[in-house]
Amino acid sequence: MFPLATMSNSTSISEEASVSSETRAHDFNKSLSSPLTPISPPHYQQQQQEPQPKSQKKRSQPGNPDPDAEVIALSPKTLMATNRFVCEICNKGFQRDQNLQLHRRGHNLPWKLRRRSSKEGMRKRVYVCPEPTCVHHHPSRALGDLTGIKKHYSRKHGEKKWKCDRCSKTYAVHSDWKAHVKTCGTREHRCDCGTLFSRKDSFITHRAFCEALAEENARLIAASGPHAAAAANMTVTTITPPLLHHHLFLPFSSCYSLPNPNPNPSPYQLKPEDSLPSLHPYLHHLHTTTTTSSSSSPHMSATVLLQRASTMGPITTTSSATTSAAGGCQTGSSMFDAGDPSAWQRSDSLTRDFLGAVAGETGEEELLSFNGALGLDMVTAASRGRIDRPKRFAGFPPATDTWGDC
Amino acid sequence: MIVKKASEIPNQHHHHHMSTSRQSEPDDPSASEKWAANLLQDCAKAISEKDSSKIHHLLWMLNELASPYGDCEQKLASYFLQALFCKATESGERCYKTLVSVAEKSHSFESARKVILKFQEVSPWTTFGHVASNGAILEALEGEAKLHIIDISNTYCTQWPTLLEALATRSDETPHLRLTVVATVGMGGGSVMKEIGQRMEKFARLMGVPFEFHVVRVASQLGELKEEDLGLREDEAVAVNCVGALRRVAVEERGDFMRLLCSLRPRVVTVVEEEADFTSTGSEYVRCFEECLRFYGVFFEMLEESFAPTSNERLSLERECSRSILSVLACDGDGVGDCERREKGSQWFARLMQAFSPMNFSDDVVDDVRALLKRYRSGWSLLPAQGDDSGLYLTWKDEPVVWASAWKP
Repeated sequence: MFPLATMSNSTSISEEASVSSETRAHDFNKSLSSPLTPISPPHYQQQQQEPQPKSQKKRSQPGNPDPDAEVIALSPKTLMATNRFVCEICNKGFQRDQNLQLHRRGHNLPWKLRRRSSKEGMRKRVYVCPEPTCVHHHPSRALGDLTGIKKHYSRKHGEKKWKCDRCSKTYAVHSDWKAHVKTCGTREHRCDCGTLFSRKDSFITHRAFCEALAEENARLIAASGPHAAAAANMTVTTITPPLLHHHLFLPFSSCYSLPNPNPNPSPYQLKPEDSLPSLHPYLHHLHTTTTTSSSSSPHMSATVLLQRASTMGPITTTSSATTSAAGGCQTGSSMFDAGDPSAWQRSDSLTRDFLGAVAGETGEEELLSFNGALGLDMVTAASRGRIDRPKRFAGFPPATDTWGDC
Repeated sequence: MIVKKASEIPNQHHHHHMSTSRQSEPDDPSASEKWAANLLQDCAKAISEKDSSKIHHLLWMLNELASPYGDCEQKLASYFLQALFCKATESGERCYKTLVSVAEKSHSFESARKVILKFQEVSPWTTFGHVASNGAILEALEGEAKLHIIDISNTYCTQWPTLLEALATRSDETPHLRLTVVATVGMGGGSVMKEIGQRMEKFARLMGVPFEFHVVRVASQLGELKEEDLGLREDEAVAVNCVGALRRVAVEERGDFMRLLCSLRPRVVTVVEEEADFTSTGSEYVRCFEECLRFYGVFFEMLEESFAPTSNERLSLERECSRSILSVLACDGDGVGDCERREKGSQWFARLMQAFSPMNFSDDVVDDVRALLKRYRSGWSLLPAQGDDSGLYLTWKDEPVVWASAWKP
């Protein structure tokens, strides 16, 4: 099946010059194009195909030369050499003979632009790669262009000397590198969900967790049985039951126990009746608006809290916050919560005393009450008097700011 | 500060007392730039000296000035105040448990994903470690057909999509990847990891990488992890990935933990930790406090400059910090969930040397990290470890903040 065994005069790699031989490539595809354009192979009778690589990673393979072409094998040295054509006067090097000739004009030297091949009946030349393990080493896969074989050799078997600053990709051929740098970072990636990314890594990470992916795969799984089985791959091994601390709370339960009942992680906005915005940024006084029952133990269910929220009064939210927070709304206040902090203030009316004097040194009874969002009341029980109002703090940002996604 | 009697009522009058005795403090203590540090440290000192009246006074002042919604100073004041208060009232453990419980309730896949992806978009704090670790892992496992990565991290598997993509595209023979995630209490309930697992599987399918995902739950302390829990197989090449993991092991168990990792016979161990020392200060409260304040001061400032001013994601991250701060400064450490006692790179280096030998990151990996940092705002830079330790430091305004290293048996 491989009638190319006639390549008996094949060149040795070390030879500088080209050796022509009467080799014929197997005839199936007469058209010869540049090695870089993917040639669609209509009849692949010659079966020297490599095993097809995975999915869409590689292009169709170049190098299907004219069967009548002359096969030339150049040495690595020749292929890697740049500026072979040297001016005898000034020693300037050129990649092509034509360029050298034009340069010679400047020295008033005799010059001649030779027209090559075709007109003179010279056969088309094709080039093989000197690397024995390479696909293009075999004449049936020779490349039709000298520049092409040179670039191929560099790219595939040469040292990658050029590196992209942005993405660290390396290139052996300078022009490849230049072309890449032009477009690197400028290409945008779009996820199925519509979001556009300029950075490939953020795109990939986003894609992996995106809803769009989940949906697409849900369709695929529904469609094909075997995938459903694969989904069962995931197992969860629990060593011992997770730790729960609910029962320990009660005296302390008012603090931090105020998950946000508002389902929308809204921007942080004041209720109309709070006339606070213009006050000193550090000191604010909150109305104790709600009943003590709102500051319940933390293990109140989300549903109940939601119901409470609706009775407590509206918190104005902007629609933009709602839409942009589509992913994130949960009740709860800490740890990845994009919750509405104002709920904390509103329901922290309950002042709980839970400790006596610290270290009992003074002998006075000082009650420290700790409530709500780090609000701290210090009330001296002694008759010397009290601070008029429990000072709770809440740093309200100026009313013009809103909390939302950045 | 001169407080004659504990019974004196803190009021305006008192401020004057304060201001004359302080160094150069104006009447309004909040006017000086880094006012929070001064007040907080004074309070920490008062607590360690058990100066009750001073404690009360400072706590009161801090409460007046602090706010979790204000500027950096106010935020630090707020969260550290909470820790100081709990320390003073010996209620740290209770408070911590409350925070944990509330967190668990509100914690969902959606919210976690949102916060961490946004964080990674605006700051290389976590992605630095990811890129370095992935690079080391890929190089160490090059050519292997079956890979098993044991992931003990706090970044919710956001490290793995890019690794999966690299596996899919860079080699001709895509290896089979098994990913075992070790989850502790702090990582939310089972539903979060389950959802993450499903996404990972789907993504791997999309990438064309044969993939298996398992979650191993540790009940209380990371130190309890055992080799048999991990289900290792004979024919696979193991990599252990520890991002923000070692610090969650109780201090006295860290040596054993290294030995455990060694017993897994990994080809490579990648370690990423934040650059702070909350361990060697031991029982010296004030020194530990200072270091804590220093580190979180940098972290909060970095958050402030990276996110937009009114970001909910940043707020979530700050609240998460408040738990760590509480854990370090107000809890004794027994049975309070994840330990948070960080150590610096050089300290971890010394520990890891007992069980492993250091592996340098290759030039390609370092280049990748550099390219990564370029994609973020200015202020970030890369610092290779010098002297006794190995690895890479991420620096924020020339201050090392995260350490990444790789190890082999």
